[in-house]
Amino acid sequence: MALGRMSRIRPLSTVSTVFIEVVRSIPVLVILFLVYYSLGQIGIKLTGMAAAIVGLGAFYATLYAEVFRAGILGVDNGQREAAIALGLSHRDVLRKIILPEAFFSILPNATNQLSNLIKDTSLVFTIGVADLMFQAQSASAVTFEPMDMFLLAGVIYFLFYLILSKVLARWELNVQRSRS
Amino acid sequence: MSNEVVVKVRGVTKRFGDRVIFENISLDVHKSEVVAIIGPSGVGKSTFIRCINHLHSFDEGTIDVQGFRLVGGQSPSKAELQALHNSVGMVFQTFNLFPHLTVLDNIVLAPMQVKKQARQQAIDRAMHLLAMVGLQNRANTFPKRLSGGEQQRVAICRALAMEPEIMLFDEPTSMLDPELVGDVLEFIQRLARTGMTMVLVTHEMMFAKEVADTVVVMADHGIAEMGPAREVLESPRTERARSFLRRVLNPVGSPREPNLVANGGDDR
Ligand SMILES: Nc1ncnc2c1ncn2[C@@H]1O[C@H](COP(=O)(O)OP(=O)(O)O)[C@@H](O)[C@H]1O
Ligand SMILES: [Mg+2]
Repeated sequence: MALGRMSRIRPLSTVSTVFIEVVRSIPVLVILFLVYYSLGQIGIKLTGMAAAIVGLGAFYATLYAEVFRAGILGVDNGQREAAIALGLSHRDVLRKIILPEAFFSILPNATNQLSNLIKDTSLVFTIGVADLMFQAQSASAVTFEPMDMFLLAGVIYFLFYLILSKVLARWELNVQRSRS
Repeated sequence: MSNEVVVKVRGVTKRFGDRVIFENISLDVHKSEVVAIIGPSGVGKSTFIRCINHLHSFDEGTIDVQGFRLVGGQSPSKAELQALHNSVGMVFQTFNLFPHLTVLDNIVLAPMQVKKQARQQAIDRAMHLLAMVGLQNRANTFPKRLSGGEQQRVAICRALAMEPEIMLFDEPTSMLDPELVGDVLEFIQRLARTGMTMVLVTHEMMFAKEVADTVVVMADHGIAEMGPAREVLESPRTERARSFLRRVLNPVGSPREPNLVANGGDDR
């Protein structure tokens, strides 16, 4: 999608740009509702799980597209010129220079977005998929201690997030170390 | 230098949008000739040498490079550009080494991707080039770890690995600390002695006088003066060239004549 938006092929870049801008400007929750309920009304019935995957997938795909685009545009133009001056084809310039270099600036952003994605899975309970928040809600209905249950859910999210971000941070550090 | 013309520039005009950068430039570069381009900042020196290898397109005129013709306002085919880039190497002011590749991989990338050389063959050639500048023990280092002077020497090796017929240099030493300039200039001078054809944008007047055969002074959207290096630098004929040389050779403005300062270089 990022490449599509930067493409010199007009229709491709227009479609990508419009799709990215539209999806990106709508709150995730609204997208989930749109996918689950509105698509249902026009005859595309999705299970809660499928709707969650499609909705979150579309939203994060566009976020990632923008992260990638920023990374690619962020590569110093001198790199591109040096590669072209050496006679590399456009395909090789992209494959051997631009993408590997963009990767390093994309990585921190991309891992941030991944953390957001985990947190946004909590929204999915609004369309009835049994995620952690949903479990907490049903558990609280049984135990009549909603605060405890939601607190527990929060703690579990936090732990999950903490572990993941530590893993990603270590990975980033390794990548950075290999470059300096 | 021989009589064979390897770069023939005729009536070249370049605009960015409506703005004319230079107009109607014509210039011959002969085989093994070293041409130094000097002139005030912003006059279009970089833009001009980038037209020679088509990093910039231009609007009017023609540039013939090694039998390939670039025509103003027309895009060359991919195959033509490929051939052009194979025979013209370029060295940039800011080195532009690829930061994610080691010194060695910076050098072997193009020979392997473009010329389809075997890795071992490309490595042998790269190590030979690095040895010429005393950097063979830095082959597996990343560019960030090198000084500016070392990076620029690697960048020259990277261009030479493609075995170009012509080398373009865009102010190769102007980003370097003064004590690092010498090694880079010395390498370029050695290259000139091997008979490499070179077009070089520089602010190093002493170097231009020593190494260049021809000096081109750019001013006011064109070439103000052009001729044998010593003549142009020591006794410029045009007022534009004179005033530019007075300013670069005497930046603090003491009332000396340019030739008094420019007389330092020894005979080649
Ligand atoms: N890509 C570009 N787009 C628009 N203007 C440019 C571009 N590159 C250079 N210029 C302008 O062209 C003029 C000449 O620039 P340049 O060739 O870099 O000069 P020099 O190398 O002699 O200092 C400058 O005024 C600069 O602002
Ligand atoms: Mg310049």
